[in-house]
Amino acid sequence: MKNPRLRLSLRQKEALSGYLFISPWIVGFLIFTIGPMIASLYYSFTDYDIISPPRWNNFANYKKIFSGILPAILNQDSSRLGDPIFWQSLKVTLTYAVMALPLGLIFGFFLAVLLNQKVPGVNIWRTIYFLPSVIAGVAVALLWGRIFNPRVGILNPIIEAIFHVKGPGWLGDPHWAVPALVLMGLWGVGGGMIIYLAGLQGVPTDLYDAAKVDGANMFQRFWHVTLPMMTPVIFYNLVLGMIGTFQYFTEVYVLTSGGSGGLGGPVRSTLFYNLYLYENAFRYNQMGYAATMAWILFVIVLVLTLLVFRSSEYWVFYEGQLKGKD
Amino acid sequence: MKTKSLWLIASLILIASMILTACGPKTTPPSAGETQAPPAGEKVKVTIFIGMGTGTDPEQITAENALAAKFNSTHDNIEMEFLIVPYEQSREKFQAMVSGGTAPQLVGPMGVETSGQFQDLWEDLGPYIQRDNYDTSDFYGPAIELNKTADGKNIGLPVGLYPSFIFYNKNAFDAAGIAYPTHDFNDKTWTLAKLREVAMQVTMDANGKNATSSDFDPANIVTYGFDDSWGNFRDWAVIWGAPNVGRPTTADFKTATVNAPEWVTGIQWYSDAIWVDHFMADGTALSAIDPANGDPFAVGGVAIWKSHTWYMGDSLNDLPFKWDIAPAPYNQKGEQIFNGDADVFAIPASAKNKDAAWEALKWLVNEENILEMCKIYGCMPARKSVAETYNTTLTEMYPGIDTSVVFSAANFIDVSNHEGWVPDVGRVNEILANALSKLMTEGENHDAQSLLDETNAEVQAILDEYWASH
Repeated sequence: MKNPRLRLSLRQKEALSGYLFISPWIVGFLIFTIGPMIASLYYSFTDYDIISPPRWNNFANYKKIFSGILPAILNQDSSRLGDPIFWQSLKVTLTYAVMALPLGLIFGFFLAVLLNQKVPGVNIWRTIYFLPSVIAGVAVALLWGRIFNPRVGILNPIIEAIFHVKGPGWLGDPHWAVPALVLMGLWGVGGGMIIYLAGLQGVPTDLYDAAKVDGANMFQRFWHVTLPMMTPVIFYNLVLGMIGTFQYFTEVYVLTSGGSGGLGGPVRSTLFYNLYLYENAFRYNQMGYAATMAWILFVIVLVLTLLVFRSSEYWVFYEGQLKGKD
Repeated sequence: MKTKSLWLIASLILIASMILTACGPKTTPPSAGETQAPPAGEKVKVTIFIGMGTGTDPEQITAENALAAKFNSTHDNIEMEFLIVPYEQSREKFQAMVSGGTAPQLVGPMGVETSGQFQDLWEDLGPYIQRDNYDTSDFYGPAIELNKTADGKNIGLPVGLYPSFIFYNKNAFDAAGIAYPTHDFNDKTWTLAKLREVAMQVTMDANGKNATSSDFDPANIVTYGFDDSWGNFRDWAVIWGAPNVGRPTTADFKTATVNAPEWVTGIQWYSDAIWVDHFMADGTALSAIDPANGDPFAVGGVAIWKSHTWYMGDSLNDLPFKWDIAPAPYNQKGEQIFNGDADVFAIPASAKNKDAAWEALKWLVNEENILEMCKIYGCMPARKSVAETYNTTLTEMYPGIDTSVVFSAANFIDVSNHEGWVPDVGRVNEILANALSKLMTEGENHDAQSLLDETNAEVQAILDEYWASH
């Protein structure tokens, strides 16, 4: 006879079945994501070189990064910082993000608007612009490394022919290295462009009809109809793009390995945050310090993402939603 | 309902298997000195980890496998196998193997820098040498010294030496109408000042003007006079005769000496060479000379090229110009110091079957096989007894080349070595590399004193941090 106290309700049985079905994913998430995150948080408070057991060092890693900020600012002397190279890597990454993110969003959106026109062969053009985004990062880096070469690359002769000025040293010039990477990144905006394209095709046509009836010209329709209706997609691309720029690694690793200045380029001009993290982990055998950097990056990206989410209520409009209301 | 039950059971089995796999038994590496006898009749495997230095080209892999086959045909109880790892991944892979309890039995060939980077991981071969009365007197002195730790631990048996000298493009000298560099190691007129003079004469612009000409166009140089771009900061600095030779610290590793007067003199010489005299390429120009392979000498972009024996491969016979080798010059103090490398094979302390590894190591570097090893790795054999045979091999490989330069250069290898260990060596070398990149890329001549003072302060901070926790 069944024990009445063990009988589950239908709702409970269904919930249990649901959890059991997703349990492989949950277990995997716990073992392969949460578990390593907890471990890396622990390692961030240790000296750990992989070979020897981790040695607890309290907050020494965090102190090293954040010490000396005030004296460095007051004295305009970066050598006062606990780890000037950390701040250099953050500066390079932020510089790249400030340049690449807006340009990527604008350029991708611009392309999508162009490719949303009903012209013969538009599908071929869409394919052409999308293709670079599916090429692996290593291949892209090798290709552009050749394009940027000041002597044998194709870019400088084009600049010299059109603008009659000598092209820069690009990756070999500390002032042009980051702009070179931004330019390389723009070549791959096809992924974002496709998402914009899908968004553009979801804008209700009756809005455009209504605008035309009201006498709106092409620019006014773009500004008052297209752009507001596209803000959710722009928001999505902004969040993903921001996370992507802070995780920039593959291309710059391939391009600067073995070059002048070593990993990080000449005068550390392309020493991105993740590159410096990699160096600490695998070149200097300081996995604890690398874990510290990883958690600081997590906090930075989390804060920025939350700020973007918070700001979205002022500039992101979902269809049928009044401003500021659900 | 039945299908739902089956899915539930399948999910439970999957979860259980994942948990059991994650909680599997941990492998414990054997402690140092512990040997494990294989089951009777089973061969002990000796895995040789290749990738920390040279040895990963296809021709080299073929030759290594042939060497392993030769060893295996004569050893019933040990099986030798080469594990080839791409250079870029080698360090991470090696560390992962050691921390995972699967350390290879032998690692090499490794230069001083690499073996020093992992110096705490190697077995001390001193007891093995003593136990077997192994005779090390046939090895060149520097080959042994360069791979001893500061506390005297002998971390490997040397395979080869890589002395350095200059390679010069005879066609470039003929075109400039000047005599080739001397081959006499005792000729004290061959100085760094003389090198500058000669290098400027062979530096040519697109209009055929050399760097001594008033019409010389430094924006259109087709051949640079001198280059040492495959070397790093310490390679460049070592030849200038500082008391610590190639080490950027005092002997106790506690005080940085990057701004030693001799190094300041040297770095200023290089800065002037790039930005004032224009016989060395800056960073931008250098990356453009041979973008495919980064070998400016082979494409005729550089007339005098300082490098080591590891540069001497088969492709040198296919160069589109005549070439030879000559001694590097005397420095401003009248000394000859050439940076040299020495490669070893070492046994990780945590490896299994260390006795078998020791037997394999002795076989690899014995008189018969060390020559074959050096053919594979482009080194000069570390044994004096095979010098004559090696010289014959060199002469056959490179007819017309003055091979005596190679043997003479072996007498001038730098101790303390330019690749030697210092605390937090990775960070220190990165700081020095950054200083060099400033020199080569900032578009203007540098005041070496202020550059090295700044660099010295950075290195000192690293040393202070290291010793605060050790």
